[in-house]
Amino acid sequence: MTDEIDYEVDIEDLPAKPSRGQVGAPSVVVDNAHVTYRVFGGRKGGTVDSKPSVMSRALNLGRPATGPIRQVKAVRGVSFVAHHGESVGIIGTNGSGKSTLLRAVAGLLPLTDGRVYTASEPALLGVNAALMPKLTGERNITVGGLALGLSASEVASRTAAVAEFAELGDFLYLPMNAYSSGMASRLRFAISTIVTPDILMIDEALSTGDASFRRKSTARIEAIRDNAGTVFFVSHSLASVRAMCTRALWIDRGVLVMDGDVDEVCDAYHLYVQGRKNASSGARL
Amino acid sequence: MTETNPAEPKRAVVATTVPTGALTPRLTSEQAADLAARSGLRQSGSRPPLRLYIRSVWSRRSFVWNLSASKAYTKNQGSYLGQAWNILRPTLDASVYVIIFGFLLGARDGIENVVSFITVGTFAYSFIQKMIMSGVGSIPANVMLVRSHRFPRAVVPLSAILTEAVLFAPALLVMAVISLLAGAPLRWTWLLLPVASLILVAFGSGVGMLFARLGARTPDIANIVPFFLSLGRWGAGVMFNPMKFIDPDGPWAPLVQYNPFTVFINLFRSCIGNEPSAQMSLGLWGLALGWAAVALVVGFVFFWRAEETYGRD
Repeated sequence: MTDEIDYEVDIEDLPAKPSRGQVGAPSVVVDNAHVTYRVFGGRKGGTVDSKPSVMSRALNLGRPATGPIRQVKAVRGVSFVAHHGESVGIIGTNGSGKSTLLRAVAGLLPLTDGRVYTASEPALLGVNAALMPKLTGERNITVGGLALGLSASEVASRTAAVAEFAELGDFLYLPMNAYSSGMASRLRFAISTIVTPDILMIDEALSTGDASFRRKSTARIEAIRDNAGTVFFVSHSLASVRAMCTRALWIDRGVLVMDGDVDEVCDAYHLYVQGRKNASSGARL
Repeated sequence: MTETNPAEPKRAVVATTVPTGALTPRLTSEQAADLAARSGLRQSGSRPPLRLYIRSVWSRRSFVWNLSASKAYTKNQGSYLGQAWNILRPTLDASVYVIIFGFLLGARDGIENVVSFITVGTFAYSFIQKMIMSGVGSIPANVMLVRSHRFPRAVVPLSAILTEAVLFAPALLVMAVISLLAGAPLRWTWLLLPVASLILVAFGSGVGMLFARLGARTPDIANIVPFFLSLGRWGAGVMFNPMKFIDPDGPWAPLVQYNPFTVFINLFRSCIGNEPSAQMSLGLWGLALGWAAVALVVGFVFFWRAEETYGRD
């Protein structure tokens, strides 16, 4: 899902630190959220599934340890409350369930258990938005805008601006599969920022395109962030989380392990990652 | 306020362990619900009431239409003849059945115009078949769209079925031309073809949504449905008159005569030709309308009842 993403962020491209202090009423309440994926034809692995019972072991005696369906518990019992005026960063290692949590809170991925309450419809700003490769850029802008909830006339009036922001030029009228990966991700970014929602969720969207586009997109995110009530931001880059957010949630293997001030959590996470790095380099000796 | 974190995982041994206990106190479910209610928050991902849901689907009609038109445009792309295959494929299908059933086997008992009879049957049935199959696969095929935007999920199967309807329009024209060339008399009833098509689209939307829910949760359905569809192809008499092969007073007769496949194929035949087995009658139209209404209501409600689960693996 997260292809063509460059995690490097130049310091000068980082957005200005949001002002702190004016935290308002709760805008998102997450109560014991669980998300479980079904995986067809998966192999039994370490992080997957629980220990089989004696009964099922007896039934499966002599069969290989593969099954038609495996369950992956991506998010396991996360609870938190976010407020108006807060920018919340979600950090964690690869596969820790950050993006899954974000999608679940956005109401895009149904919860297996638990509840999410929101003040308004959250909008997910992702570079992975679904575009159709066989359609022209223009058509994709129309479909994407309609999917975001705009009316047909609103989309029509904004198409030119979106195309200009994505710097497509004449490629606007060519099918998306003729685009370079940079063009495609610029278009995705431009489409998903058509609307300014009250609750904004950003999934690694800062690292799109080349240096000049990155500056442009950062400015746009800043503008959206300043207008949005609550911002959620998922990233691997601690520098951008520190710059973007006032608060951070650290997710590890689907469980919330730390929740607090952004610098405090980022420092602890940094130490943890450093420790893991040392451990793995030590093991290689 | 309890300081518990029940699902704490077992960790692999690493140099620095993940800290624990740095969490703000957790709310219980009741406290969370209470806080949400006091702050005026709504539970997300919950299924809206049916009336509200219908209204929100209706307000997204331009999305449905755009999605279907776009999908129709991309179908058959990547071949030299492109959209022409839309018409060529059912024409070739029909000609196979005309050759085998009409001429080789000579199963033309009780059929007035064999070419028209088989062509109309094949075109209409392949339309029904495509609507149902596109309904089955609609959610899995659009899972990325479902996971990145919030909209009433009924948009997805409806647009998949509408895509087939858009593609059926030129096929309908070809079907009429072939019948005309085969000697079917041009009558005013031909003008009813678009009306019959609309009723069939309503029926297909209902059945498609029903199967969309089944196919979303159980992809295996996509392998079973073709079996029933081929059963329907032979049972509904797409290329012969089944009533000539079974006892008209037997227990199977009503099933063969009044099943929706037969009804809709006969509806098309009654518009085009003067087939003794498919005469234009009010009863036939009433039956078709009835099937369409039942399918639409049942399919829509059935699909809506699982609204919050679409997009989950």
